Amino acid sequence: MPESLIAIWDALPYLLQGSGVTLVVICGSMTLGLLLGVPLAVGQVYGHPWLRRLIGIYVWFFRGIPLLVFLFLFYFGLCTALDINLSAFSVAIIVLGLISSAYQSQIFRGAILSLPEGQFKAARALGMSDFKAIAFIILPQALRLSIPGWSNEYSILLKDSAVTYALGVAEIMARTHFVATRTYQQLPLYLTAGVIFLILTWIGTRSLRLLEEKVRIPGYSAH
Amino acid sequence: METPILRIENVSKRYGKKDVLKGASLDVNKGDLKILIGPSGAGKSTLLQCINFLVKPDEGRIWLEGREIHYAQKRDLYAYRQKVGMIFQDFNLFDHLSALENVKIGMVKVRGMAHEQAQERAVMELERVGLKEHLHKYPAQLSGGQKQRVSIARALAMDPKVMLLDEPTSALDPELIGEVLAVIRDLGLAGMTMIMATHQIGFASSLACEIIFMEDGRIVETGTPEKIFYRAECARTREFCSKITELYGETR
Repeated sequence: MPESLIAIWDALPYLLQGSGVTLVVICGSMTLGLLLGVPLAVGQVYGHPWLRRLIGIYVWFFRGIPLLVFLFLFYFGLCTALDINLSAFSVAIIVLGLISSAYQSQIFRGAILSLPEGQFKAARALGMSDFKAIAFIILPQALRLSIPGWSNEYSILLKDSAVTYALGVAEIMARTHFVATRTYQQLPLYLTAGVIFLILTWIGTRSLRLLEEKVRIPGYSAH
Repeated sequence: METPILRIENVSKRYGKKDVLKGASLDVNKGDLKILIGPSGAGKSTLLQCINFLVKPDEGRIWLEGREIHYAQKRDLYAYRQKVGMIFQDFNLFDHLSALENVKIGMVKVRGMAHEQAQERAVMELERVGLKEHLHKYPAQLSGGQKQRVSIARALAMDPKVMLLDEPTSALDPELIGEVLAVIRDLGLAGMTMIMATHQIGFASSLACEIIFMEDGRIVETGTPEKIFYRAECARTREFCSKITELYGETR
C-alpha cells in the first residue's frame, strides 16, 4: 500500500501538469465551439432555407462521426495530405472545437427558439435591423438560457479530451498511461486520473452554476 | 385639403390560399385617433402589422408625410419603423432589460443617442406614464398594466409620428385596463396620431375621431362613433356593435 501511495505522490506533479494541458484543450475547444456555434445557431433559426440545410448537414457531419475517427482523419489524414504542420495539441483543440460547435449550435438554437417571438418583432418595430435585434435582444437572453446546456457540454468535452491521448497530446490520460506502464502501479494511478477528472468536472460545472446565478434576470424564479 | 400624415392604399395579404386582408385603404390625418373594431380574424392585427411592414403586404402602397415607403430598401424601412410606434397586445418587453433599459435601448442602438441623453429621456418618458418608482424593475417584476406602460414609453422615446396599438388592453386584468387607457387618452389629447384596435368601446366612442369596422379582411364601414354605434348603415356592423356593447358595457 505505501508503495502505491508513493507512486501517486511521485506522479502527482506530472499528472497535474497534464490537467493544465487538458484544461487548455477544453477551454480552447469550448471557445472555438462557442464562436462557431452562435452563428451556426443564428443561421439555422433565421437564415435562408438553403443556409439552414447546409448547417443541418454540418451538424449531422460533426455529430455523426466518432471523435477518434476525426482525430486520426485530421492529424494523420488531412495534415499529411495537405502537408500542414500542426501539433497534435492544435489538432486536438480544432477537432474538439468543431465537434463542440455542432453540439453547442443545437444548445443555442433551442434557447433561441424558446424565447417568445414577440420580442424580435418589438425590436424590429423600433427600427432595429435583424442583426441588431439578434445581437442586442435575442442573444443576451439565449446565451443565459444556454448555460445549463453548456455545463453539460463542458463535462462531455472534458471526458472526450482524454481520447486525444491517441495523438500523443500530453494530457492527463497520456501521462497516467505513461507512468503506469513504467511503474506497474496501474490501479492507484488510473484511480488518481479518475479523481482528477471528477474534480475538474466539479470545478467546471460549479463555476457555470455560479455564472448562471450571477447573470439571472431579476424576477425569474430560481428553480 | 390637408395631406394625410399616413396614407394606406389597397393593402392586401394572403397566407397560402387565405386572404386575410383584402385591399384596405385608409387616410390618417395628424392628430387623428382611429379605432379598428371587428371580430377576431377580421384582419385588424394584420392591417396594423402591414402598416409598419412587420408583415410584408402582398400588394398595396403606404405613404408617411407624403413620402412613399419602399420597404425593400432596408435603410428606408428602418427609418420608417422608427417613426411608427407599435404597441402589442402582450407588451413584448425585452425580458433581460430593466424598464429604463427597455426604453433606452432604441434610442442608443437605433437612433445613436449618447447614453446620458438617452437616460434622461427614458426617465422622462417613464415618468410621463407614471412609472417613476419602477425605473429599475425588470419586466418579470412588473404588473401587466405597468408592462404595457413601459412599452408605450419605449415607443414614445423614438419620437414617433404615428402610433399603432394592437389591442393594448386585451391581455390585462380588468382592473389594470384603466391605467393603460388613461395613458393612451393623454397621448391622444396631446395630439398623437394613433390607429388602435380595441374592444373598449366606451373609450372608443368618447375619444375616437373615426371608427373603422372590419370583417373578413375588409373595411366594411367607417364613420364617427356616433354613426357606427347608433346609426350604422350595414346590418353586420349593427349586429357586431350591439354584441360588444352587451359584453363590454355602454358606449358612454
